Formats: sequence, structure tokens, C-alpha cells
Amino acid sequence: MSLLTVNHLSIDFTTRDGTVSAVSDVSFTVDKGETLGIVGESGSGKSVSCYSLLGLIPMPPGHIKNGTAIFDGIDLLQANEKTMRQIRGKRISMIFQDPMTSLNPYMRVGQQIIEPLLQHSNMSKTAAKEKAIALLEEVGISDAANRFQQYPHEFSGGMRQRVVIAMALITEPELLIADEPTTALDVTIQAQILELIHELQQRRNIAVIFISHDLDVIKRMADRTIVMEKGHIVEQGNTQAIFDAPTQAYTQKLIASIPNSAKPEAYRFTGDQDSHFLTLNNISIAYGNKKNLFKAVDNVSLTVKQGEILGLVGESGCGKTSLSHSIVRLVDIQQGEICLQQDALEKLSIAELKGKALKATRKDIQMIFQDPYASLNPRMTVFNTLAEPLRLHGLASNAEDIKNKVLTLMQDVGLEARWANKYPHEFSGGQRQRIAIARALAVEPKLIIADEPVSALDVTIQAQILSLLLKLCQERQLTMIFISHDLAVVRYIADRTAVMNQGKIVEINDTESLYQNPSDPYTKSLLAARV
Amino acid sequence: MIDSLKEYQNLNFEQGRSLWQDAWYRLNKNKLAMLGLYVIIFFVVVSILTPWLAPYGYETQNLALGASAPSAQHWLGTDIHGRDLMTRLMYGGRISLMVGFAATAVSLVIGILWGTIAGYIGGLTDTIMMRIVDILYALPFMIFIILLMVVFGRSLLLLFLAIGLIEWLTMARIVRTQVLTLRKQEFVSAAVVTGLSHWQIIRRHIIPNVLGPVIVYITLTIPSVMLLEAFLSFLGLGIQPPQSSWGVLISGGVETMEEYPWLLVFPGLALSLTLFALNFLGDGLRDALDPRATRD
Repeated sequence: MSLLTVNHLSIDFTTRDGTVSAVSDVSFTVDKGETLGIVGESGSGKSVSCYSLLGLIPMPPGHIKNGTAIFDGIDLLQANEKTMRQIRGKRISMIFQDPMTSLNPYMRVGQQIIEPLLQHSNMSKTAAKEKAIALLEEVGISDAANRFQQYPHEFSGGMRQRVVIAMALITEPELLIADEPTTALDVTIQAQILELIHELQQRRNIAVIFISHDLDVIKRMADRTIVMEKGHIVEQGNTQAIFDAPTQAYTQKLIASIPNSAKPEAYRFTGDQDSHFLTLNNISIAYGNKKNLFKAVDNVSLTVKQGEILGLVGESGCGKTSLSHSIVRLVDIQQGEICLQQDALEKLSIAELKGKALKATRKDIQMIFQDPYASLNPRMTVFNTLAEPLRLHGLASNAEDIKNKVLTLMQDVGLEARWANKYPHEFSGGQRQRIAIARALAVEPKLIIADEPVSALDVTIQAQILSLLLKLCQERQLTMIFISHDLAVVRYIADRTAVMNQGKIVEINDTESLYQNPSDPYTKSLLAARV
Repeated sequence: MIDSLKEYQNLNFEQGRSLWQDAWYRLNKNKLAMLGLYVIIFFVVVSILTPWLAPYGYETQNLALGASAPSAQHWLGTDIHGRDLMTRLMYGGRISLMVGFAATAVSLVIGILWGTIAGYIGGLTDTIMMRIVDILYALPFMIFIILLMVVFGRSLLLLFLAIGLIEWLTMARIVRTQVLTLRKQEFVSAAVVTGLSHWQIIRRHIIPNVLGPVIVYITLTIPSVMLLEAFLSFLGLGIQPPQSSWGVLISGGVETMEEYPWLLVFPGLALSLTLFALNFLGDGLRDALDPRATRD
């Protein structure tokens, strides 16, 4: 007897462009004490199908067209609000993706944890508090009695997610739905949280539905796995079996898209090993005032060779973005020197450039940003976005020339010419990132800083963008600094890798040597945390 | 509409087109907004041509006639002094529209510049600039206008300026808030990295993105300015008889509303029609300037 049986679930959404089928004919079961993984790319319907179980999709525009979801004899899709309140938060709990937004910032953590308990049982406040403190300790929060009184902002991201987990578990639910619970967390924290969820599940024998876009996470966590695409279940079965021998083409493509290898031989760096194309000498960047100084980058030195891809890896707050922004002069350095080699003799000190000289150098160094939704002006067509740098730097002689150059650029990054007059919102995330890449390439730069360029993308799209970057770097002999928190991605694309922690570079080496023989303890812990 | 726009975009894909061309195309598709535009154009043209079109002089009295209801000679009737209402409405429209547009333009220019600079530079500059706005907000504006009028004497130009100088405050606040969020967006960083100057970034990347709320606010400002002018005239600080504006005509019409309703109805109609037209046009423009708006 399964704990939850979902049969023929179909959900439609009414939009301006007509009815969109978000979930169609989805059936699955969850047994007591097992972990079911649901994996899929954005828009695959993995979250919607689970949210509908708790009545959490907005209706309208949502509409459950068909299907049943039997949980302990009750059809969750037909149950009235009163019945649902008895189930939601008590027998079925949920963990959301972002621990920063899933806690109320104005309420003490302890109050939030005991709230569902007071709601669903007659327990006294003191008893609830005792239980909450015991649970906080169980999820790994030390000094729980004191932290009970604190506000969410006093906790780090990982600690907050522990609080969220404690909140979900306090009513001793039979089913836990975890929607991308570690996506917003750093790798080392992710590993801890995954371990915690696994442990708690074993100890309490609860069923877990684990939703993620990350195949590695699913592979590690789930007993059985469902692969979803565009609202349909493509494949389901034993996790091991699916990953070892996927039967469906889509699953095969998904698994093949996970970067899990060294950099392809054909794209490796073959240039001058002694090149000092970009040299950073003792860079320091600090924010805040004298009283409250935060050193984002602390005395970092680094050399980038002409034609190589240098990976820069680190967790959030390690200073990798500040460092990269200082090279493109989006932030100022307080100390040190950044030198760009012009030719055999001449070197340019980037940090001291002003006015025309700075503008001229901007042509040589370009940047690709993380979020393709925010990095394009929503009111400029692709054509104008790409034409702007060409006009600005006088790289095209007349309108005809601009047109040809823009269309060539679009072709180079794999965009169709007939899309030139479209606006960013008409494109998907991957296509937008292609536009952003084209914009960076428009001025024919020598150096490109790519700040997490694939982090916001789905895994199949990520694979496409990575190979595009590799191809473009080789064709145009570009030097690139590739920043990422994702170790697998960096291993696939970078010739050398630098690891940053707390504003310092703790280790730098050829990528393969670094991955196989890390010398620094922090690098070791990062690599060990990989799922 | 969406499909035809896509076709249109595909048709000319080899030429870059600006937001403005696209906006014009989209506006053309919005019938209500175009109707609003035509109404405004009609009023403006009539106002400009009034001296040649008006059937009577605006101060020509026919005391024997007195207040008479609409007739073949006087289409909209006459006022208590026997002056032709249509003529006075046309002359009044000249003043009202002029005050409305000119004062709003003054507030627009100052407000956008002030708000953009404060929001874009941020920090101490922002604090100082916005405190100045707060102080001006707190100033009783009537005293300010009376002072201006007393010192410089009464003139139409001064009236535009005085009203404009008050209305820009809210505009500056709206713009500043928008700019503050835009400035942190990655596309602005991307523009910096491309090498655009601050002025170019403000012009090409910031201002087009703040236009939406600004345009809506403009369509609210123009009518409120027209009413403000009526109020000032009522106090004896604005337009003086025998000159007139819609606001003056309406406040005059209110006094005799029970005996001679047409003296209130026609000026009221003219003002309301303008306001409706402005609102439709404003909504249309906001949608037209936002490529993401898919509504017709």
C-alpha cells in the first residue's frame, strides 16, 4: 500500500496566449520511507505537479483538469479547505528552495518553528518549545536554546535551511516535499544539508519527494527517480538503473549533458607558458567605512596567460566577483596593480586609466554576466544591443557595415538572423545568454571575464553554451577568466584553476592536477563536498 | 496584434529599428489610444487657429442678449454678459492647454533630470538632492506662488514656471526610485563595461526604462495642472477677466449652474474630454513603450 498515489494528473494554465498544459497525465506513487526524486529542466512541470498536491497553485490561472492524488484514503485534489489544513503542514510538509525568503524576517526563529505545532495540536507553548529546541539540535544547530530567540538574519544561508527543515519536521509529517532545497546553497553547505535530509529520513522513516534540476543531487538522494520533460513523465524507475542505463533519448541527453570530464583535448591551451597577459599584483578590495571594513579581496596576485581559460572557483562571498569586477573597472581597488600586456614592451595599468584611455581599453576587456534575464536591456532589440558597442567604438563604417557585422555576430553565437528585431523577453534563457555573449564579442575583445555564465541555465542548455564558449575562444584566440561555483563546469572548461576562499587565492594549478591532487585543505573540502 | 508585430519584425529584420519606431507601430494598433491622440490633436489645432476660427471676439459683449441658451447664432449659448460661449471656450482652451502642457513639460524636464541624477549617482549626492525635494515639499506652495507674483508681477510665463516648479517634486521622486533599482541591474554594468559614458547610459539604458511610470504620471499631471490654474485664477493670481480658461469658465459656470446649466456643461465637457483622451493616450503610450506588454 503506497502512502501517496497520483493518477493521471493533468494541470492547465490559462495565459494570454491561450491554454498551456503544464502537467499532463502524470502518475506516480510514493511508498512509506522512500525517497522519490523528480528531475527535470525549468518548465518541465516538476514543481507544479507537487505544489498541486498541497493546493498551492494559484487557481485561476491554474486548473486541475484531471486526475486523483490519494493520500491515506483522501483525494488531495478534491479535499475541501478544512481537510487540507489538517494535512498541509502536519502530515505533508514542504521545504522551499530559498531559505532567505521562506522565513519571516520579522519573527523570531523559534516562534516560526513552533507555529505549525501550535496550529495542529493542543501542545502547550513550553512543551512545544522544548520539542523545537531538541529538534534544532537534531538538525545540527548548536546552542539551540539561545538561537531559538534569534531572528532569521542572524543565521547563515545553510543554517537557515536547517531551521526550515526543523520547521517542516516538527509536526512529524509522513511525507516531506523538498523543492530544490539546496539549489541556493554553496557546495560544502549543500553536501551537509543533503546528508542531514538523508539522515533524518532514515531515522524517522518518512517519505520524501525530492525535486531538483540537478541530476547529481537526485542520483545521490533518490531511491526511485522520475524524469520529466514539458509536463510529461519521460522515464521512471530505480535511480541506479536510470542513471546506468537510461532507456529514453531525453534522459540520455540529460545525463550526457552533465559536465563530468576533463577539458576536451582539442581545446586545451597550447600557447606560451611564460606569457604574462594579465597580471594582478597584490590586489585588495574593501567595502564599507573605516569602522566596519570588509575585505572582499585580500592581497591577491595572479597571472593569466594569453589564450588560456582560467577558472576561478569559490563559494559565495569568497571575493571572486569583486576580483573580476575590478578587472573591468566596475569596482575600484584600494591597493595593488592590474596590468594588461599590450605588446612585447608596453603594459597598461588598468586601475589608473581614465577618460579616453579607459574607454579604449574597455574594448579589449569584456564581460559576460550571470543572469541573462537582467543583463540585457528589456527595451532594446537584439540588433540595437549588438550595434551599440560597434557604433560606440567606431568599429563599423556605415549602416550597411553595422548590419553585416551584427548578423555575422548573431550567426556566430547560433542565433537566427530573423530574430534581430526581437526584444530580450521573447527569448529563452539560453538564447539570451547567446545574445550576451555576442555583445561581449562585438568589440573583438582580447580578454573576456565570464561571471557564472551558465549558472542560471538548464543542464542541456549549459552544455550547449559551454561548447559555444570553447569554440569561440579557440576561433578568436580569446583569453578568458571563467568564474563559477560549479566545480564540474570549471573542470570541463578551464586550463588552469584558481580556488578562492575568504578573499584569498588558496591554490592555483593546472586544472587536472588540482582536481586530482589538491594540496590546500580548503580545495580538498570543496572537492570532497561534490555530490 | 502580436502576430502582426512579429511578422513586421521579421519582415525588416535586416535593419535595426529603435524602440520609438516599434512604439509608434504598437500605438497605431491601439484604437483607443489613437482616438485619444486625435482628440488632443484636434483641441490643439483648434486652439492654435482660434483667432481665425472664433465666430466672435472673446470680449465682445451683447448685453441685450444676456445669458441665452444654445441657438443657431450662438451654438453653445452665451454667458450673462452676452458673450459667445463657444468663442470663450476656444480662447479658454488656448490658455488651459498651454498651461497644462507647458507646466507639465517644465516639471518633466526638471523632475527627470533631478531624479535621474540623484538616483544614478546615489550616496551623499542623492541624500542632499532628495532632502532639497523634501524641504520644497514642506513649503506652502501658495505662499511661494504669491511671492513670485508679487515680486515679478503677474504673467502667463511665470504661471507656467510656478506650477511647473511645484509639480516636478513628485516626478523627481518617482524617477529616482526607478533609477535606483535600474542602476543595479546587470545590463547597466554591461553598458559600463562596453565603454558607454554615464550620460549615454542614462540616455539609452536608464531613461527608456523609466518612461512607463513617468508617462502615466504625466497624464495625471496635465489635468491637475489645469485645475491648479483654475484655482489660482479664482484667487486672482492667474488669468484675469476678460481673458478666460476652462478652469475659470467652470468655476463661473458653477455659480449659475441652476439658471444657466450650459455655462457649466460645455466647459466641463471640454475638460473631461481632454482628460479622458490623455488617459487613454497615456495608457497606450505606456504599453507601446514596453516591449513586454502583450495587451492590445
